[in-house]
Amino acid sequence: MDEEDIRKALTAFGLIGLGLVLTGLLQSWNAALGVLNLCLISGVMALGLNIQWGYAGLFNAGVMAFTAVGGMTAVLVSYPPVVEAWQVGAGGLLASVLALVVTALVTGFVYRRLPAGRKRFWLITLVALLGYLVVRSLFGEAVQLIEAVNPARTGFLGGLGLPILFSWLAGGLVAAALAWFIGRISLGLRADYLAIATLGIAEIVISILKNEDWLVRGVKNVTGLPRPVPYEVELQQSDWFASVISWVYSGRLENAADQRAVLAELMIPASSIFVKLCYTGLFATVTLLLLVLANRVAQAPWGRMMRAIRDNEAAAAAMGKDVVARHRQAFIVGSAVIGLAGAMLTTLDGQFTPGGYNPLRYTFLVWVMVIVGGSGHNLGAILGGFIIWFVWVEAEPVSLFVMRQITDLIPMEPASAYHLMASAPHMRHFVMGLVLLLVLRYSPRGVLAEK
Amino acid sequence: MQNRNLLLILAVLIIAGAVYFMTAEQQKKDQDIKMGVILGFTGPIESLTPGMADSAELAFAEVSESGALLGGAKITPLRADSTCVDAAAATAAAERLITSDNVAGIMGADCSGVTTAVANNVAVPNGVVMVSPSATSPALTTIDDKGYFFRTAPSDARQGEVLAAVLKDRGISEVAVTYTNNDYGKGFADAFVAAFEAAGGSVSVTTSHEEGKGDYAAEVGALAASGSDTLVVLGYSDGGGRGIIQASLDADSFQQFAVGDGMISQALIDGISGDLTGLIGTLPGSDAAGAKMFLDLAASKGKDGDGPYRAESYDAAALMMLAMQAGGNAERETVAKNLMAVANAPGTEIFPGELAKGLKILADGGQVNYQGATNVELTDVGEAAGSYKELEVKNNKFETVSIR
Amino acid sequence: MGGFENSLNALVLLANFVLVPALAYGSQLALGAVGVTLIFGILRFANFAHGDTMAFGTMVTIFCTWALQSAGISAGPLPTALLALPVGILATIALVLLTDRFVFRFYRKRRSPPVIYIVASVGVMFMLNGLVRLLIGPDDRKFTDGERFVISAREFKQSTGLAEGLSIQTTQALTIGVAILAVALLFWFLQKTRTGKSMRAFSDNEDLALLCGIDPDRVVRVAWILAAVLAVLAGVLYGLDKSFKPFIYFNLLLPFFAAAILGGIGQPVGAIVGGYIVAFTEVTATYAYKQLAVYLLPSGWVPDGLLQFLSTDYKFAISFIILVLVLLIRPTGIFRGRVL
Repeated sequence: MDEEDIRKALTAFGLIGLGLVLTGLLQSWNAALGVLNLCLISGVMALGLNIQWGYAGLFNAGVMAFTAVGGMTAVLVSYPPVVEAWQVGAGGLLASVLALVVTALVTGFVYRRLPAGRKRFWLITLVALLGYLVVRSLFGEAVQLIEAVNPARTGFLGGLGLPILFSWLAGGLVAAALAWFIGRISLGLRADYLAIATLGIAEIVISILKNEDWLVRGVKNVTGLPRPVPYEVELQQSDWFASVISWVYSGRLENAADQRAVLAELMIPASSIFVKLCYTGLFATVTLLLLVLANRVAQAPWGRMMRAIRDNEAAAAAMGKDVVARHRQAFIVGSAVIGLAGAMLTTLDGQFTPGGYNPLRYTFLVWVMVIVGGSGHNLGAILGGFIIWFVWVEAEPVSLFVMRQITDLIPMEPASAYHLMASAPHMRHFVMGLVLLLVLRYSPRGVLAEK
Repeated sequence: MQNRNLLLILAVLIIAGAVYFMTAEQQKKDQDIKMGVILGFTGPIESLTPGMADSAELAFAEVSESGALLGGAKITPLRADSTCVDAAAATAAAERLITSDNVAGIMGADCSGVTTAVANNVAVPNGVVMVSPSATSPALTTIDDKGYFFRTAPSDARQGEVLAAVLKDRGISEVAVTYTNNDYGKGFADAFVAAFEAAGGSVSVTTSHEEGKGDYAAEVGALAASGSDTLVVLGYSDGGGRGIIQASLDADSFQQFAVGDGMISQALIDGISGDLTGLIGTLPGSDAAGAKMFLDLAASKGKDGDGPYRAESYDAAALMMLAMQAGGNAERETVAKNLMAVANAPGTEIFPGELAKGLKILADGGQVNYQGATNVELTDVGEAAGSYKELEVKNNKFETVSIR
Repeated sequence: MGGFENSLNALVLLANFVLVPALAYGSQLALGAVGVTLIFGILRFANFAHGDTMAFGTMVTIFCTWALQSAGISAGPLPTALLALPVGILATIALVLLTDRFVFRFYRKRRSPPVIYIVASVGVMFMLNGLVRLLIGPDDRKFTDGERFVISAREFKQSTGLAEGLSIQTTQALTIGVAILAVALLFWFLQKTRTGKSMRAFSDNEDLALLCGIDPDRVVRVAWILAAVLAVLAGVLYGLDKSFKPFIYFNLLLPFFAAAILGGIGQPVGAIVGGYIVAFTEVTATYAYKQLAVYLLPSGWVPDGLLQFLSTDYKFAISFIILVLVLLIRPTGIFRGRVL
């Protein structure tokens, strides 16, 4: 980063900060911190995508899938195990896994022992089909048993019962494993293919998460995940927090007639703010850590090589660089970062809702963040996450306001006025598209351009 | 260089606009009582929510116009988008309503997932009441809501039992089941299948259908192959559920249909080409009177009261305002403390369109038992107790057969 | 019941639940996929805005249909929407030409890499997404009128005396008919007319085509117009057959891509074949063959299960599973399209 870059970054973050402060002053500090926390998570997501797009030029249209597996990992790590489900179903699951392994081994054996030809093809098909039927019946039975365990409350295996913070790391690892698999299929083909393949695979991942109830309850959602930070209601009842608040507001409390009532009144928003600040601290630490790491990597020989490959693949290949392998690395690392962000998001929400993942919000919005912030610029991507999330959240009240002005100013039928007001929330998508197209055209390298 | 200045100017303009807008909004505040309406105006159930919000706003308008609330207070409903699916966006929207617009209570949210997120992360910590008209997931019964979460829609667990009993009583012993693939459909289907099998019936096949896919030929093919004569459809009247019934009618596959509350709507009958006579269904509520009064009320205001969760939305809104009146102020705590009292006996029964009467009784120190459009009766955990109407389609209309 | 009657019943069963729905759905997919593949062949990028373009055209057609209906004009037994179709097509042509002028042309002149086009098409997708909902709202709209059935299941049962019925809806017949007509016209255009030939040349080898004096702007324009026409046809037919909901149209994008890649991207024939394969695989893989077994197997042999390869839960995933398999086994697709 040179001087101008730093100045630009400071200006941009200053403006966002100003926006947040204004939100805090005019709306509320709770709302502002809520936006800030999601800005941080969005920033991490954008950072991950930037490693793929900005450094390697890979069009990953499956951001949603990595976010979702990160979220899934959060459940698997933190939810207490459902002992009864393990008792009834674990044996069956193990048996089906064994059957799968046996099938794979036999198929491999046939493949190696027989000469290529029609006979081998049919034999393999037969073995695979038989194996599939056996695995399916074993698996189906186990799943039925597991899902029958108190279906309204659990009906799944549960998790490991570990602190949810572990899942951030684990979420990254699981996402990396998924990326390795997707990369094997689709890297090495031209960019559009990766885009379409990742878009499709993301849908498959989501439909698995939605339908395999034994894993993470499917569409029935897992709620009430343990938090890494205190609960507001507990804070409101704890003595130490009360003393902190009475110290902070000592001036106001002295003059109050009924000190206890005023204190209780003050503690409600204060506890919310405290919880949000805890999250902010956690997320900001992760974001900064990742930013430093990403910048290190970008300046290391690896980063220079990545950019060389991106800018001229043929030349880099001619120099003896293994283009596909490098692409795979960038893809895996980027996906791991996105998975981590997904785990953080689920942690913040306190619940995992697989039905909630849709490509507009979890894939394409992240794209807008990277393009606006600055492709190939780590800090820029994070900045993009901040800007776009802020606009995405504030677009709704603003468009409602605009529509109200329009319906107030221009005389029109009540029906069409109503229609305009009702369609205000949809302006969000329109505005996002417009911002994306404008930046892509007039400032294609984003707010913070790569040098 | 030029680009950067352009962007800078753009950003300054946006922020200036935001400041202007927020201060303008600020000035509008402070006079009226604010009530939040958080529903998924965008997202998978975006076609259901406008009708729900309209119905809630009918109640708000009725109270404002009556001039009887807390000596003539007016209600300003503020809508916010829960997106139905994006917990983060829903939480942000709720955060804004609660901490910035200072709403006294929230009508919403809609989908069970975001409802849980908003309740746990925003409403309960801030001590704000939420009354959901449509979050029916059994899991919400047991969330730790500290008395701030209510719902006018009963838990699906109960409805599953009722629907199973209706079918058994009609001598139906084998059914095929299809449900919409979300927490509502899945939870409902689990409850129904368990109850039906416990009552000695058999379920030949259970499949899900996705909303927003349009084509349901394959699902109907699989359902029809089960050989059952009766199809139970647990979905939405303007979505996949309707598509499934239409495709089954086209293929002439089932003799009998049974549906859950999400499907009960005149729009279902009007939207389907073919004869639905004999279709049976269950709907929360025990009396046709309140529902009829709500439909008339809505019609007189130029709205359509017929549709999934519209009556529940009206009731949710009405309950919160009656609770304020009962406590004598528009504080958040007041709403929370008095909601159960106005919803349940003892007291004068209040139906849609009679909110002014209810407010007067409360002002005079009397008690009300709000019945509303759906015969509201809250259990001790604050959700609709679940008396159900058994409905049947006759002459292209849903008619109440009995009360359960 | 005789053995012959049993096999007739089995045949009708398959036709009713597999053949007819899959043909109609396949036709709709084929029309959309050809549009995607044409844009790819000429402009060389995967257009993520295609689904929303389709929604836009259908929306205009619906508005026009409502106007016609309130004016009392109808097309007799056929849906009124057919009369409104030209308006929808014209509006959509205007829309795509405008987006090309203001969005894509800029990148074409600068010879930007294809990925930039994709990003731009995502922007267009977002904007159209908002625009359509702004104008018509997010609701589900039915705009089908006219006769509903060519053959209804009940009539079929009564007239043939078979246990199984066969139903063919007007919209299904119409879909298949229009799709065949449109595809035939398209191929005539590509093979026989001068413009069509220059388009094929351009798609095969851009530089060579430019050397031969082919006007690239004209070729691009015609490609957009064709894609718009096909998109509106696909959208309106899909809407007539099922119903119109903006959300559904966005989701259709993925099966389109699957069909186009399966057939070989850039190959119109391939896109059509791909569309039908995706539709047939979706329906056959999730169909439960139990009833068929009841008719065809001796009574003791019929198994208890539903005889389903894959639960309908995963119906939507099938097109992507196909996609992944194609990528693994034969990335050029069936008709050896361009390797992306």
